Amino acid sequence: MRVVIAEDNVLLQEGLGLLLSTAGFDVAAAVETVDDFLAAVDQHRPDIALVDIRLPPTYSDEGLRAVRAARRIRPDLPVLVLSQYVERSYAAELLADGRGGVGYLLKDRISRVDDFLEAMLRVAAGGTAVDPLVIARLVAERQPSHLDGLSPRERDVLALMAEGHTNSTIAGRLHVTERSIHKHVSNIFAKLGLPPDNGSHRRVTAVLTYLGSRRT
Amino acid sequence: MTIAGVVRVGDGRLRRAAHATAHLLHGGVTALVAAGAMLALVSAVVLCSVLIGVPLLVAMLRAVRSLAAAQRRRTGRLVGGVVPQRYATASGTPFAQLRTLMRDPTTRRDLAWVLLHMVVGPALSLCWLALLLCSVLAPIVTLLWWAPDGAPIDFFVTIDGWARALAVPLPLAVGSATLLIWAGPVVASAQARAYRALLTPSARDQLAARIQHLSTTRAAALDAHAAELRRIERDLHDGMQARLVSVAIQLGLAQQQRDTDQNTANQLVEKAHTGVEQTLTALREIVRSIYPPILADRGLAEAVRTLAAESPLMVHTKIGALIRPPAAVESAAYFIAAEALTNVVKHGDATEITLALDQGGDQLVIEVIDNGRGGADPSAGTGLAGIADRVAALDGRTTLHSPPGGPTTLRAELPCAS
Repeated sequence: MRVVIAEDNVLLQEGLGLLLSTAGFDVAAAVETVDDFLAAVDQHRPDIALVDIRLPPTYSDEGLRAVRAARRIRPDLPVLVLSQYVERSYAAELLADGRGGVGYLLKDRISRVDDFLEAMLRVAAGGTAVDPLVIARLVAERQPSHLDGLSPRERDVLALMAEGHTNSTIAGRLHVTERSIHKHVSNIFAKLGLPPDNGSHRRVTAVLTYLGSRRT
Repeated sequence: MTIAGVVRVGDGRLRRAAHATAHLLHGGVTALVAAGAMLALVSAVVLCSVLIGVPLLVAMLRAVRSLAAAQRRRTGRLVGGVVPQRYATASGTPFAQLRTLMRDPTTRRDLAWVLLHMVVGPALSLCWLALLLCSVLAPIVTLLWWAPDGAPIDFFVTIDGWARALAVPLPLAVGSATLLIWAGPVVASAQARAYRALLTPSARDQLAARIQHLSTTRAAALDAHAAELRRIERDLHDGMQARLVSVAIQLGLAQQQRDTDQNTANQLVEKAHTGVEQTLTALREIVRSIYPPILADRGLAEAVRTLAAESPLMVHTKIGALIRPPAAVESAAYFIAAEALTNVVKHGDATEITLALDQGGDQLVIEVIDNGRGGADPSAGTGLAGIADRVAALDGRTTLHSPPGGPTTLRAELPCAS
């Protein structure tokens, strides 16, 4: 699997490169700027891109802009955004196009190599990965009114879905059968008014509803 | 001009004349009070030789202050605008208070005003009383003469015939009324302007007071800054360093045990791993407490919206157009909003909060309104005091309006001239 990395910190760039090549990934390019990143995406046609949110010149959210620009050129490019800190609004922005293939994780998560690689593969396959800290903060807040219709169990399922877990992992975590998770997920889609013909992107839309629900 | 127009113009003029007359008559009364105060003041000065005069003198000087303050308000109302007032705060023993009062340049201005007012006030007041009486009584004199018995009346001259009854009181009445209507506002306004000039602190005094205020807030800002640096230093040393040392020890032990007891070594490495993760979390919290990253990335509006979204209460945000304020103001505003929201959640019994943020002229205004039970007391907790300190450090202004039963409005104004 071909990977392009956009990370301006040399230590982290090398660390990520080492980790990924050890795990059998092909690191096609590791770049530091938005322009180089876009060029690398164009040239190497990677299967996934890892992007640091803070890139030169202003070190604010150039990474997000790079992702938007890259996905304008290649709408199906899977992207995993890495950051020193997480904000729900960024997660919502990344997922906003509803196409999936997007991840947003704290850099800390890289150190749990297996989980990190799993999240990468999930994103590369068109799924999502949202940092558990974002979800934990959402759960701690007062629940928004239009999620009122969901039962507590359905909310648990939705929270795990938002982190990007599949039905089978959710079933494992909640110690129930995959069949009952499947039923919960259908109920969540129905209660959030998501049409059944939306395919796998319904999951992304449900997550977006969850993430964006308290924006005023 | 239409008739209505004439009436309206006449109406405005009459109203101004009435105001002026009332102002001048009222001036007579306050002049008498001022004269009384002056007399008491002089007696107190005499009594100072036997010491009991000191508290009396302080009391009298304070009385003069309140008279002058009242005059400033009245003058401000008449000429429009506010007459600025700057008093040094006098406290402590009567001697200390007397010293402060005597040194306060405003005291001298007040006393000069009292002396002037003692003379001008009664004189103008008597004149206008006479004019008022003339304009009302003169027509009555004519009417009285006209009444059947026709006895002579003394009104400046002896009125014993129609010629005099019409020729003397009526022109007098018209003249007085004309003076009341035309000259009244001019005289009252001239008097008010003279008083304003006397009672307004000189530019020098105002500057001196401003510098004093700035020195105080600057010292407070430096103190706050130093305290903040100490807090960060402590957080880094006690938090970060201690955690990393413990991780290093665990890794060192693991290295030692690697060959002899692999199981223990693995456990130690796992512990060290967890330790590093916890350290990263703690580091994020420290960074957030110094300068929230979202503020750097997205600016104040977005950062405040995030705060609002993260509050457990329903927060309505009203954010006006913000031209990016200086970083110090931006971060102060962010922490003020954060502390205010936390405060409401902790104490207010509120269910809803409105958070307004706007930049008008050269100041940034943060307003937090909650529907809680009110009666907030800044001296009770550290939250409101902390907010006031942050605002004061930037030479801003905090106002708290919290009647029992609510709602509570906290308003912070931060100057942000660039």
